Amino acid sequence: MFTFILGGSASGKSAFAERMAAALPGPRYYIATMQPFDRECELRIARHRAQRAGLGFSTVECPMGLEKLSLPRRGTVLLECVGNLTANEMFSPQGAGDGAAEAVLRGVFHLLPQCAHLIAVGNEVFCGGADYDPSTLRYLQQMALINRGLAARADRAVEVSAGIPIFHKGAGR
Amino acid sequence: MVFVFGPLFSGKREYIKNVLGYSEEDFAFCPEEAGPVLVNAQELAPNCPDLEALCEVLCAREVVSAAETGCGVVPADPVERAAREASGRLCVLLAARAEKVIRVWCGLPEVLKG
Repeated sequence: MFTFILGGSASGKSAFAERMAAALPGPRYYIATMQPFDRECELRIARHRAQRAGLGFSTVECPMGLEKLSLPRRGTVLLECVGNLTANEMFSPQGAGDGAAEAVLRGVFHLLPQCAHLIAVGNEVFCGGADYDPSTLRYLQQMALINRGLAARADRAVEVSAGIPIFHKGAGR
Repeated sequence: MVFVFGPLFSGKREYIKNVLGYSEEDFAFCPEEAGPVLVNAQELAPNCPDLEALCEVLCAREVVSAAETGCGVVPADPVERAAREASGRLCVLLAARAEKVIRVWCGLPEVLKG
C-alpha cells in the first residue's frame, strides 16, 4: 500500500503521517532527508526526532540517491520529505541537478517493492502564485512533476490541512 | 465552457489533453489567438479594466484554464497585490459562468460543478 501525503508547512502532515505509520505493522523505517546545514536545521531535526520517539522507527539517513537504498527488512516506511530530497538532488554538487524529478521518482519506485507500506510526504507550495526567480520556478516544476508522478502511482493521495486529512484518491474518501 | 483550474504545475494542460481530448495546437494564450482552449487565464486579469467583459469573451471558448494564485502572503507591492486580486476575481467569475468546473490537484481531477 502506497500513501502520498501533501500539505503546507506546519499543516500537521508529519504528525498525521507518523500516526498512520505507527498503526501499521513493523519493522518501521523513517527515511530522513534533511541535511543539517545550520542550527535551524538541527533544531527542526531534533523536533521531528522527539515527535516520533516511542513510535518504533529506525531512522535511515538518505538526503539523496534514494535509488541506491536497500532496506534490511520489509515493513512500513515513512519517507519525509520529497521536497527536501528534490532540493538536495537539484542543488547539491553530488545531486542529479536538472534530472532531480526523474531521480526522485526512480528512487521512490525503487523503494516501493521493498515496503509492505510506503508513506511519502511532500510539500504543498503551489497556490501562492508564480512570482518567483527562475531557479525557484525550476524547483517548483521539478517538485510538481514528482508530486503528480507519486499521486498517479499512489493507492491513496491525501492533502492534510490543519491536521485533518482530505482524501483525493483511495480509501477514506 | 469548461473551467479547469488548480495549483501551479498541477497538470491542468495534461488533463485537457489526455482527458478532454484536445491537443497542443488547440491552445491559445491570449484572447487574440484562435483555438478552442484558452490557457493561463489568470495572466489576462491584471491591468484588465473590466473583468466581467473579459469573462464574457472567454466564455466563447470551449475550455478555459487558470492557475490558483491566491494562497500565499498578500504582496506588499500594490501592483502585484492588484494583479493577484484580479486573477482571483476572474476565476470566481469564470467558475460561476462555466457549465462544468474541474479542479486538478496533483494531476488528480475533481469535479466541483456540473
